[in-house]
Amino acid sequence: MIIQIKDGIKLIAISIISCCAVFVCNLFMNFNIDIARIKGLISNPEVMTFYEAQLTMSRVTCAVSGGCLLLTSVIMLFFYIKHYIDSHRKELGILKALGYSNIKIAKGFWVFGLSVFTGCGLGFASSYALMPLFYKVMNPDVPMHFNIILALYLVILPAVFFCGLAIIYSCKKLKRPVLDLLRDRESSYAGKKRRKEQKDKEQSFIQDLKQATVKGRPALMFFIALASFCYSSMMQMSFSMDELSSRMFAVILIVIGIILACTTLFLAIITVVNANTRSIAIMQAFGYSWKDCSGAILGGYRLLAYIGFAIGTIYQYLLIKSMVSIFSKTSADIPEYKFDTKSFVVVLISFVIIYELVMRRYSARIKKISIKEIMLK
Amino acid sequence: MMIELMDITKSYGSEENLYPVLRGISFNIQDGDFVVLLGPSGSGKSTLLNVISGLERPDSGRILYDNTDITAMSDEELTFFRKEYVGFIFQQYYLLPNLTVDKNVKMGADLAGNRNYRQIIEAVGLVDKMDKYPSELSGGEQQRVAIARALAKKPRILFLDEPTGALDEETGRLVLDYLCRLREEYRFTMLMVTHNNNIAEMAGTVIRMNSGRIVDRYNNSTIKSAYEIGW
Repeated sequence: MIIQIKDGIKLIAISIISCCAVFVCNLFMNFNIDIARIKGLISNPEVMTFYEAQLTMSRVTCAVSGGCLLLTSVIMLFFYIKHYIDSHRKELGILKALGYSNIKIAKGFWVFGLSVFTGCGLGFASSYALMPLFYKVMNPDVPMHFNIILALYLVILPAVFFCGLAIIYSCKKLKRPVLDLLRDRESSYAGKKRRKEQKDKEQSFIQDLKQATVKGRPALMFFIALASFCYSSMMQMSFSMDELSSRMFAVILIVIGIILACTTLFLAIITVVNANTRSIAIMQAFGYSWKDCSGAILGGYRLLAYIGFAIGTIYQYLLIKSMVSIFSKTSADIPEYKFDTKSFVVVLISFVIIYELVMRRYSARIKKISIKEIMLK
Repeated sequence: MMIELMDITKSYGSEENLYPVLRGISFNIQDGDFVVLLGPSGSGKSTLLNVISGLERPDSGRILYDNTDITAMSDEELTFFRKEYVGFIFQQYYLLPNLTVDKNVKMGADLAGNRNYRQIIEAVGLVDKMDKYPSELSGGEQQRVAIARALAKKPRILFLDEPTGALDEETGRLVLDYLCRLREEYRFTMLMVTHNNNIAEMAGTVIRMNSGRIVDRYNNSTIKSAYEIGW
């Protein structure tokens, strides 16, 4: 079978996201279960209000961070599977031609769920390491327990869910004619659509290439925009949370935000560079300068990255604004939320620096490989 | 443009396992000649083609194009050299998959500022396929796109690495016939690598290689067309 365990391990971004999601959720869910145990002991109405507020905060945090990260993981899993199938069309076509059914091939994709299992396991274990400190900060009166049921909900079930999802989605994506896969060609619908886009446009080849490269790989286009969106929203949200929640909670969010944001952005850029290496080599063989090649092929993604960043900024602003308005109905202590211009500027500058540096570093690596070597790959 | 090779060597592998591919190759190519490099698999002919065309650097020796040594050029100068003088046709075509036939040919044409590149698409008989993508074409059609792309940049020297290697006999003849007719029309030098002895009968000069060395070199007194040779 062509899908091996090492292919599953490549999905390190999903492992990191799962790790962060389970880390946050386990902290708050464990605290939630433990705090619920002492509910009967509370008789003071003021303490009860504080108790209710902590319970609500735990639930909202679990729902928002867990939900967002779960959604990101699912999108990334779909991206990886699609990217894998697209870049292994010939091998998969041979298997289908030999008589392997879609479901038989798709079953091999279960290994992609391993990345989730690894990440969830790590997140689960590391959250217990931090839990004593977390309880101390949140409410020292709540005794800490190890709630084994959470291992089922946060490690086993997500891993099984992702294994199943990987099989179902890959089975759906494998439903293509064998010849299309063998000849490494896309569906006729996509061909017609792109043909329409390329027709009747009299502009320089470099402009044509810039547009065709970006539009020709919608999955990559989406991935780079998603990574920039994640970077923008997670980083800005983390910095803004500093004013709205406890110091410890803000630190956790900032660390998780930085790890997630940098990982997704880094992986997106590497994927983009690797996917376009051959086209750059062909152009260089013909005499296009390095600047022309990288500008036309890799530069096309820059606009998408900034669009993703802008959407991420709006998204995080609206999300925090709505969360604050919900909480302010129950508590008068919550300050009014305003757009954090300082965070925006800092995050934007860091985004520009990281994006340009990683893109330059990885594209410079292609420059060092001989044209022949790239073309032989 | 006259090409002069002087004692070219090239090896692959690490220092302990150095494998010599080219062992002191020297010869000249006259302007406008059609030269065929013949030899069995592993004889070093493709490496030699890559070295002469500036895609790879030799370990030692000199390659002079009208007395200009390309082995002394920087990467940027080599890129400029390829842009100005060289065209390539590879066995695996190497077309850009995201671009239509028209745009793939335009890739070569733009480098030479050639606005009439569609005439070449017409010359290779692909006018009705201009809006198709490479994956929608047969092997022979893809190779003709590669020919059109190479010629659209008006090269002074055309390098061909087994251009008919992936084609059936009929399509192979058609492609070779196109190439020879276009060479007469556009007057460029052609250096072709092949292991097919019969194709050598179409060339002006034949160079036989084995184990990284030239073992024979001769000029054909009578040059045959693509339809006169065996296969």
